[in-house]
Amino acid sequence: MGRRRPKQTDVELNLAAMLDMAFQLLAFFILTFKPSPVEGQITLHLPPPQPVANLQAEKQAGENTADISPVAGLETLVVSLFSTSSGDMASMAVGEVAIGSQKELDTRLRTILKDPGSPFDQVIIQVDSALRYEELMQVVDVCTRQTLGNGQKLSKLSFVELPHDAKAQN
Amino acid sequence: MSHSHGGSAEPNLTPILDMVFQLITFFMLVINFKSAAMDLSLKLPVIGSARPVDMQGQEDLLILNIDSKGKLRVFGVEKDVDRYIATEAEVSRLAARGRKSQDAAGDDLRTIVVVRADRATPFHLLNHVIKVCQEHGFRRFSLKAMNKIEET
Repeated sequence: MGRRRPKQTDVELNLAAMLDMAFQLLAFFILTFKPSPVEGQITLHLPPPQPVANLQAEKQAGENTADISPVAGLETLVVSLFSTSSGDMASMAVGEVAIGSQKELDTRLRTILKDPGSPFDQVIIQVDSALRYEELMQVVDVCTRQTLGNGQKLSKLSFVELPHDAKAQN
Repeated sequence: MSHSHGGSAEPNLTPILDMVFQLITFFMLVINFKSAAMDLSLKLPVIGSARPVDMQGQEDLLILNIDSKGKLRVFGVEKDVDRYIATEAEVSRLAARGRKSQDAAGDDLRTIVVVRADRATPFHLLNHVIKVCQEHGFRRFSLKAMNKIEET
């Protein structure tokens, strides 16, 4: 009660040192700031290439007499891409059918895959070894836009490398 | 020379300090350390439908920068493809065992391989990298591309 308060003195914080440090930090962040470009991506499930016909060892040819479908057991659609020597796209094919453009490829794949009776659930892309990545990605883009008969997006793709002169040999 | 009133005129530094701290906070929030793993000299392919997907840090990522000659670069250092991927696969497997999250996936790894390849890379060089990844159990891939709108 009778204690006297100690004499109050004004304590002034020296902010100049803190400001120096803050400016140094600011300079560091400004100098190291490099906004990275916004990159898109295509997410894929890439299993190793499997046989086109999903044959099971237990089954014998002609065992199931009720099965008269010529494509039964075939679950993989094959898309072939051939390139010029400079790596540009020379030609495309879905199965044995030649395709002239990406739009045509899109239409063809949609027709095949969207059919509820379609057995295909994955696509193997046979790619000419010299084809540039950019050209391949255009086709991958078309493939990943496809929807299967069951309503799911096509995400199972596999790549198979073709020798550069594969088409010439055929 | 003499001071007019003899007192020292000290500027009030508090507002400028506030502003500087706010700027520092801004830069700290927007700084992206992940970009260090990206080779920004690569010219990615341009695809109209490529969209950024936010992984929200939930996924393990293995970022592979592949230049037009098929060389793999990690943080700017050239690496041997086979050895590097084998090491990363082992690390992913150990991490998965630690988390016990390798649920019924067999030998398949949950890690997503982020392929950042130059648009001019021939397929056979890229395919070699993908095949090595597949041999070591990687199944999930993310192929990076630029959106047309983003291209400068």
